[in-house]
Amino acid sequence: MMRKAFVGFGMALALAALTGCGLVSSTNRSVFFVFDVSGTYVKAVPDAAKLANITIADMQPGDWVGASQISACSFSEKEIILQRQLPTTPSLAATAKRELFDDFNTYAGQVKSAKYTDIRGALAQAAFELKQRPEASRYIVLFSDMIDDYGKSCDTSNIKLDLRDIHVVAANVIKTNPGDPEKYFDVLRKWEAQVVAAGGTWSLVSSPDQLPKLVNGV
Amino acid sequence: MEQSLDQAAGFPPSVADSGSFFGVPWWLALLGLILLMWMAREPLRRVVWQVFFITGRVFGRWGLWLSEHGRNARASCNEKIASHRADELQDRMLVLENRMGKRAEKLAKETGPVIARLDKSTHQLSTAASDLTDINLEDAAERAFRAALPSMESGRGLNKLEKNIAQSTARAMNDRLVPVRPALSTIKTEAPRLREVAEKLTKTEQEFNQSVDEVNKTFQEFEMIMRSDDRTKIAARASIVIPWLIAVIITAIALSGVFLNFFLIERPMSEIVGEGARIAGVGLPTFAAIIVIFLEFVAGVVLMDAAGFTRLIPAFHAMSDGARRTMFFVAFGFLSLFSILEMTLSIVREQIIEQQQETRDLANRALIAPSLTPAPEPAAPETATAEPEAAAPEENRGLQLSTIAQLILAGIIPWLLAAAALPLETIVRSSVFMLSIVGSFLMLALAFICKTLSVGFKNVGLFALSVYDAIIFAPLWIERRVKGAVRNRGGGGDASSGDVDDPMVLDRRSPTPPPTEPRRNREKSREPELQKA
Repeated sequence: MMRKAFVGFGMALALAALTGCGLVSSTNRSVFFVFDVSGTYVKAVPDAAKLANITIADMQPGDWVGASQISACSFSEKEIILQRQLPTTPSLAATAKRELFDDFNTYAGQVKSAKYTDIRGALAQAAFELKQRPEASRYIVLFSDMIDDYGKSCDTSNIKLDLRDIHVVAANVIKTNPGDPEKYFDVLRKWEAQVVAAGGTWSLVSSPDQLPKLVNGV
Repeated sequence: MEQSLDQAAGFPPSVADSGSFFGVPWWLALLGLILLMWMAREPLRRVVWQVFFITGRVFGRWGLWLSEHGRNARASCNEKIASHRADELQDRMLVLENRMGKRAEKLAKETGPVIARLDKSTHQLSTAASDLTDINLEDAAERAFRAALPSMESGRGLNKLEKNIAQSTARAMNDRLVPVRPALSTIKTEAPRLREVAEKLTKTEQEFNQSVDEVNKTFQEFEMIMRSDDRTKIAARASIVIPWLIAVIITAIALSGVFLNFFLIERPMSEIVGEGARIAGVGLPTFAAIIVIFLEFVAGVVLMDAAGFTRLIPAFHAMSDGARRTMFFVAFGFLSLFSILEMTLSIVREQIIEQQQETRDLANRALIAPSLTPAPEPAAPETATAEPEAAAPEENRGLQLSTIAQLILAGIIPWLLAAAALPLETIVRSSVFMLSIVGSFLMLALAFICKTLSVGFKNVGLFALSVYDAIIFAPLWIERRVKGAVRNRGGGGDASSGDVDDPMVLDRRSPTPPPTEPRRNREKSREPELQKA
């Protein structure tokens, strides 16, 4: 234990010295999961939570995880489900990941449906949270059908998004109307255009194993 | 059609075709050009001289400089190799002398009992020999016969007489041989022992002779190195490349061990230093693992130097034996600690892998499961869980074995790294010589290139001047004729005196060439001029 402490202290000193020289950089990433709880998607939230879990399982120690939900008025701290940074040591990180699994499972088990779908507000909130993080790689993972529906009291359809240095990943995008594939692709194209216009990058994930690879680079 | 073909081929139209150059006829333009070249002969020749000859001379001087320094470097390298070889031989002689001294100390202990035994055996043998020489068998037989004579007179038959004689003889012989028997048994015992002792002495002599031969051989070589003037020959006798190659191969094998070690400790190092940071593009655990390996290597080098196997650290030469012993134990202690650290890390590594795998499995199982909170099934799980339970001990046993293997590997590798310090010394020493040799050869090769370029430049210059003169040969011929006529009219002097000062005449040689100095003197006489320049 003492040895560990000494080595740790020495490493911390060396790290401080090297940071001063600008030689030290971070490899950590911050990932923000956004769950759509509108009437058309709420049934898919448990599946989305599973996808979030397998993504978290492959995350590195020291990475940051946040989660919020898309409801009637999503640009709000009230919609944030959790925010947590994984410890930097692998054993503690593994324990933290399991706790996150439990948190997501609990959330998926008791999620309630919302009347409206404020996707834009949720994106703005996620981007706002990520901008405050020091990590260089930032991801927003959207679990939604990507069909927005704004209420009169909270219409964020015209707010300006700032998604610079943020990668937006749309995952588990269910098809609400299987008879109209054209509409589905149109919606995706529209969101891609909006994200790119806001300075972000866009990816669509269709299979579960792609999401951890895309986010964690594993 | 013909004209158009000529033009298409790029040929100038012939004079007969009355072509022109900016309105001037071609033949006139050509004549003008030749006259212009004749007029510009001297300045152009100076330019050509400047460009080709001066450049050639610069290259020539560079070539000379490089050649001289290359030769000096080679000689210096040979000297260094010879002195290194002399050092090696001196060390070897010291080792042999030390060994012989120790052997000589032991020799008194070894030969003392042998000589005592030899004395004892010799004494016993001489006693036995004198006993044997004292026996007079003829006399004994005669006495026995005489003793048997009285009974012959009283005897009745010849058979009894014979019997009596035989018995008397046997008794007399037996009486005589009784004292001899111990002497014979002594000879029987002592003879093999004597042979054994003689063999041992012969072996000792051989060993001594061998050591003496080795010392003599080493000393002869040492003397030759010290006295010989042919340093190249001496340097060629000392093999540099083969020990270097062997050392490189051994070090490469040791380096593969380093890689193995690195992969063993890289992952668990994250448990100590944490993850997420990069230093100069290298992950922090990777960086920490590399540092640990370097420290192990340094401890190994110190251990080997303190033990006297290598001489990489000069400070150890000046140390007392006690201080060196202390350093040895310190290095040994550090290596032992590193060994324990690596063994601990190998266990941590196993635990980390297990935890990560379990976390992934947990997430993946949930993904495959139909719902997040699956209802317990009554019958199926019993059979389903029975198999993993049965398989678990097997898996655990395999895991334990792999952990033990990792532990052994982690414990051994720091010591193997320490052993890598042995070939490192050879690599360091030989590399200096090899770099020096390569450097000197490189300089000589560059000198050759410079000299070749020098000759090339000078000859190209000469060729250009010759071509120039060939173009304007007609005006030149006329000029010489005119000058010759003027000189003849003036009644004077040597016809060639006007041309002697002409710097444009390249190959004119005087009928009586001045006595040439030897080449070495010429080179030497040039040196002060160069220095002045």
